[in-house]
Amino acid sequence: MEKPVTIGIPRAMLYYRYKTLWLTYFEELGIKTVVSAPTSKKTLEEGAALAIDEACLSLKIFLGHVKALVGKCDYILVPRISDFGLNYEMCSRFQAMYDLTKTVFRNTGQKFISYNVEMLNKRSEWAAFMGLGQFFGFPLKMVKKAYDRAKKAEQKQWKADLKVQDGLLSSEKPKILIAAHGYLIRDAYIGRTVTDFLKSMDVVPVRADIIDRDEAMKASKELSPTCKWLLNREILGSIALNRDKVNGIILLSAFPCGPDSMVNEIITRRVKGIPILNLVMDGQDGTAGVETRLESFIDIIRFKEGTL
Amino acid sequence: MESNKKVAFPRIANYNCAIKYILEKGMEVRCILQPEMTKRTIEIGAKYSPDYVCTPFKSSLGSMIEALEAGADSIMMTNGVCRLGYYGELQEQILRDLGYQFEFVNLSEYTTGKVKDYLKAVKRINPKYSFPKLMLALKDGLAMAEYVDNVTEEYYKNCGFEQEKGAFRKVFRQFLTEMETARSRGEIDAGYREAMQRMGRIPLDKPEWPLRVGVIGEFFTVMDPFSNLEVEQKLADMGVEVHRWMNVKNRMLHYSGEKNMNVKIRELCTYEMGPTSTANIWCAKDYAEQGFDGLIHVKSAGCTPEIDVMPVLQRISEEYKIPVLYLTYDSQTSDVGMMTRLEAFYDMIEMRKKVV
Repeated sequence: MEKPVTIGIPRAMLYYRYKTLWLTYFEELGIKTVVSAPTSKKTLEEGAALAIDEACLSLKIFLGHVKALVGKCDYILVPRISDFGLNYEMCSRFQAMYDLTKTVFRNTGQKFISYNVEMLNKRSEWAAFMGLGQFFGFPLKMVKKAYDRAKKAEQKQWKADLKVQDGLLSSEKPKILIAAHGYLIRDAYIGRTVTDFLKSMDVVPVRADIIDRDEAMKASKELSPTCKWLLNREILGSIALNRDKVNGIILLSAFPCGPDSMVNEIITRRVKGIPILNLVMDGQDGTAGVETRLESFIDIIRFKEGTL
Repeated sequence: MESNKKVAFPRIANYNCAIKYILEKGMEVRCILQPEMTKRTIEIGAKYSPDYVCTPFKSSLGSMIEALEAGADSIMMTNGVCRLGYYGELQEQILRDLGYQFEFVNLSEYTTGKVKDYLKAVKRINPKYSFPKLMLALKDGLAMAEYVDNVTEEYYKNCGFEQEKGAFRKVFRQFLTEMETARSRGEIDAGYREAMQRMGRIPLDKPEWPLRVGVIGEFFTVMDPFSNLEVEQKLADMGVEVHRWMNVKNRMLHYSGEKNMNVKIRELCTYEMGPTSTANIWCAKDYAEQGFDGLIHVKSAGCTPEIDVMPVLQRISEEYKIPVLYLTYDSQTSDVGMMTRLEAFYDMIEMRKKVV
């Protein structure tokens, strides 16, 4: 390799899921990475200006992050992930993301790099990462090693996350399970508003997406047999497995999230006997409205527990 | 052997005749054909649906309720590659919560990757179905769907230029009635032949270079005249030759496959962006290259795959200098707003044609 390349990684969407994998993989290969700064009001505004009006809040945020990286790196990583098999599919937005981003930024001269996972067509993550490394001119042996190490680091991180989760679930304080996509709940501008406020109210927010994934898949099939989205299956499974350990559930979604629009309806119709708050975020300024709703929800929980 | 079940399927564009034929001839059950969708269908559907689900969910839920009101005791629902694949489970839950009693056969439950597993769904409808009869009826029913598409294409290309107002509509209506009552392949073929011949004989007042508009978009809304507020008819009535590639014939029966279609649009997109995206991008590019005067992109509110295709369509519009009108349909039932936009679009492409 003649010149070291830098890869830009937008801090949005699948970044939160594959952070460790991506960063370790590129580090092992000696490729420099830059990650965009946490979401701010400006990120959302710039992204919204680039997106089709009707697109979901998360895509608008994503495009804002991409914009922040344009010109600051050689390539921007936008994976194209379609599915991990039948009924373990991703929202079709993740299928379109690479081509969509490339089209939106076609006049900027920025280059993009992608990898394709589509198990229904026998395109595995492993093969995708091998291709990615070879694209940058690394020998296969080195790429294999980098991927293995990255995968191990990811596993280790995941185990640590699960351990923290167990700790949260055994807390004495009232606990609220937040059923939301990882990229929404961990977003500095959207999800953190909710989790920070809950913490300030002396309630423990528990992320639903941190769960033993195999067990969650099994449990999700009982709650909703034909649900086709992997990320929603994890949340469904988490609700089924954790509902007795928490005092309430918040269904947090981004307007107008396609999968959530239906799966959250199934949850409210099938999960009975526990308070559920349906909270849809649309990127409006000001947190007063959300805070009022959260406060009254916490009041309901405390009232029910007899601690109000 | 016949079963005494009364089976219904949500209304889908003009394909109800083919579905009815397959149910009655292939599975030997009675098909309950609920009334055509109206304002009421959408209203009751929307009332019980989640807020920001896509519009076809609401209309098909309304259509199911109308089928139950019409006496159906079983409802069949299709699977699908987008949110459609999850429609069935949620719709069943909503109907059960409302208190309706019925049997629900959801094809999504039988989607395993093996086609033969769909036979289990057929078995639930009629345990004593005959496999040869089913295959034969499937073949004839799909031929009927293809005929419907051919007649529809012919209709929208020419009905705006008829000399005697209503001549095309008369033939089209009669053709659909004949398809609904057809009992054999012979009757299907005869009805089709007659309709095509009669349409061919209708005297036209067509200029040598008429305005041509291509209609593209989301699979259901673009095909269903009620859901798109008859956008094709309205365009035709202004004197436009209307083309629509997206239909069951082209997208399902004779689809060349995503891979082979992508070859022709490699510079516009690398991967399949959603269930109908490759087809729509190809189609838009093809219409642009053929020198069409404009494109209309039709989708229901919140249709994720079609929203994602829009940036690519904007690029096509820019590079090929072809105007695109984007129409999004919610559960509204008034067409005044749409009419204004269509008229403005028509005026614009007409002026452009004179200048160019």
